[in-house]
Amino acid sequence: MSDKSNIPEITDSDCLAAMDHLYAYLNGELKDKEKHALVEHHLGHCKSCFSRAEMERQINSRLKASGVKEMPETLQKRLRGILDKF
Amino acid sequence: MPDITLIKDFFSRGIEENMHSLYAIALRLTRNAADAEDLVADCVIKAWSAIQSLEDKSRFRPWMFRILHNCFISNYRKKSVRPTELTYCEECGDDADDDIASLLIEQPNEFLCWWANPERELTNQLLGEDISVAIDALPEVFRITVSLISVEGLSYDEAAEVLEVSPGTIRSRMNRGRTLLQKALWQHAKDAGLIKDVAMMECKSYE
Ligand SMILES: [Zn+2]
Repeated sequence: MSDKSNIPEITDSDCLAAMDHLYAYLNGELKDKEKHALVEHHLGHCKSCFSRAEMERQINSRLKASGVKEMPETLQKRLRGILDKF
Repeated sequence: MPDITLIKDFFSRGIEENMHSLYAIALRLTRNAADAEDLVADCVIKAWSAIQSLEDKSRFRPWMFRILHNCFISNYRKKSVRPTELTYCEECGDDADDDIASLLIEQPNEFLCWWANPERELTNQLLGEDISVAIDALPEVFRITVSLISVEGLSYDEAAEVLEVSPGTIRSRMNRGRTLLQKALWQHAKDAGLIKDVAMMECKSYE
């Protein structure tokens, strides 16, 4: 992709289109191949959207890590008690 | 008729494997530890009484979340609504796929700069607790959507099954929910004193 003449000029509407699909793209939910390729191409050429995508990626990993790791022992016991009675 | 002990084993295993997630989502919905415990317990009892309705065993997880969510709506939602919650118009927010432009305008540019700060020491101070505070500030539809997908890792289809809406609605709720989450994180970071002086901040983007 070194031939710069092949790279279309980035317009605001390209950014908006890419951002519209950004979360689906990052979540692996952008199943339309054409749209997927468009977002990928745009992120490869637009610094501002790339930065934004990087930030979203990091927020994603923070969110994943923020899940509850410990749950109250009282609840665990209570649930096992419920299950035992079934 | 399948053996009842087999069904019981399957169910118990499913609960053991998912109890952390169920509690996490209950906590996000009720925003109150005592209510979250009661909600999970109620949900497990309800799920067992409805186990025959689970046709596809591989969908146990979304099926459980759906029961949890429905149980929350019928028994807990009223008392969990707080005046501090951001207001959200159910009719005007959803399925508005073309409003991404307005979402981006709402996005404070300083937030991006702050996040892209090369020293990272500022954003590294954002702990799980801060993230939880920000999620809890979101209106319920976004709080649950972001929690199911971004925290618990459900697919859009699974989240759609849980919330009984279309995958397209999930997609637009993610767009808006994550934009609102950024706003809430930014607000929280300012309130908690994690951001000293926005004007002094050097804005660098990723290279
Ligand atoms: Zn762009």
